[in-house]
Amino acid sequence: MSEEIDVEFEQEVAEFYQSLGIHQGPGDMQYRIILRVLGRNEGKITEFSDIRKYTDQFADKGSIGSKMKTVFQLEGLVEKVKRGGYVITDKGVTAYNFLKDSTAFYKKNKRMGEIIERMP
Amino acid sequence: MTAGLLLNATICFAITLSSFAFAWVLARSEHEHSDKSKPALWALVILWSLVGLTYLPTTIRMIAAYMDMPILDFMMYNLAIIPFSFVTVPLVFFIMYVIVGEKRISAYTSMLFVLFGVSYLVFLYTKGVIGPEVSTFSSIFMINSDVAINIYLMGLFVIPTAMIIGLLFLIFLQRMPKRLRYRTALPLVAISFVFDFMLTDMITLVDAMQLAARIFVLIGTVQAFLAYFPPLTLQEKLGIKRYPYELYEQEIDIDKEIDEEEEDIDV
Repeated sequence: MSEEIDVEFEQEVAEFYQSLGIHQGPGDMQYRIILRVLGRNEGKITEFSDIRKYTDQFADKGSIGSKMKTVFQLEGLVEKVKRGGYVITDKGVTAYNFLKDSTAFYKKNKRMGEIIERMP
Repeated sequence: MTAGLLLNATICFAITLSSFAFAWVLARSEHEHSDKSKPALWALVILWSLVGLTYLPTTIRMIAAYMDMPILDFMMYNLAIIPFSFVTVPLVFFIMYVIVGEKRISAYTSMLFVLFGVSYLVFLYTKGVIGPEVSTFSSIFMINSDVAINIYLMGLFVIPTAMIIGLLFLIFLQRMPKRLRYRTALPLVAISFVFDFMLTDMITLVDAMQLAARIFVLIGTVQAFLAYFPPLTLQEKLGIKRYPYELYEQEIDIDKEIDEEEEDIDV
């Protein structure tokens, strides 16, 4: 899982889900980026700085820390193994797979929308 | 000569008229389409015009066969196969453009089918045709070149048909509103109908099959018309009618609305 994370694309996908009234999970930009970084580092420790490398472009440190605590740690998607170090759990990998499916659904929907747009 | 030939001529004339009318109506509705769908729209206009141009000389051919004029029949056959050979060009452009969305790629791909069309014509004209063989219902020519028939089958028939089926699958596999499904799938089914039966019409050596193929081409043209301009009763039956509504505008007081909803729940 060493894929690149495209912040702009994730923003686009999150906005799509927000437009469907889904503001959390796949519609939450912070959730998407954090989970992407965690999923990419499966089996390794994810440093908080790894996450901030992407999230600093659109969110402050405090809100990301809060999200880690109130969503990821609370729901058992990650386990804190040291100060500023997290490991994704099996449940977290399930969430990551769901996130990937949500991206695939967005791409499929977008492609089909474009096809329909081009049909006279 | 028999009245069967006149029936054949009438069907051909009906195809000519309806496909020209459809092409004209489509061209006239240009302003209703977005810039993105205009290239596909014009490809469709050309496609339906070529169908009309194929069946106009074919109508004269059938009348010539009825009046026992084999030379005119032969001349009209040679004329009809020119637009027929290029029917695949706008069709391939249409499908490629709808799927890929790139005008240039679609144009290059359809140019390949111009080559198929030209080589088909070259082989057909150089080797000639055998006929006409006039029967109760039809006048048939036999293509005297195996290469032409192979080009015809592979280049003009199999590939474009596979493309239509592929696009249809793409649409059927996707969940979408009924209205959109009808609007996208039915024109493709209609085009496929017309296209495949036109090819059957041109290659068959059985007179009844030729007549049947032409009836199906006519059905396909009507189907295409219904796809773009469905009558009200059909819209109601299929559940694709757009409900006419106006937006209800009122200053929204969310707290009040929530209170009202809660009251409703209590009741």
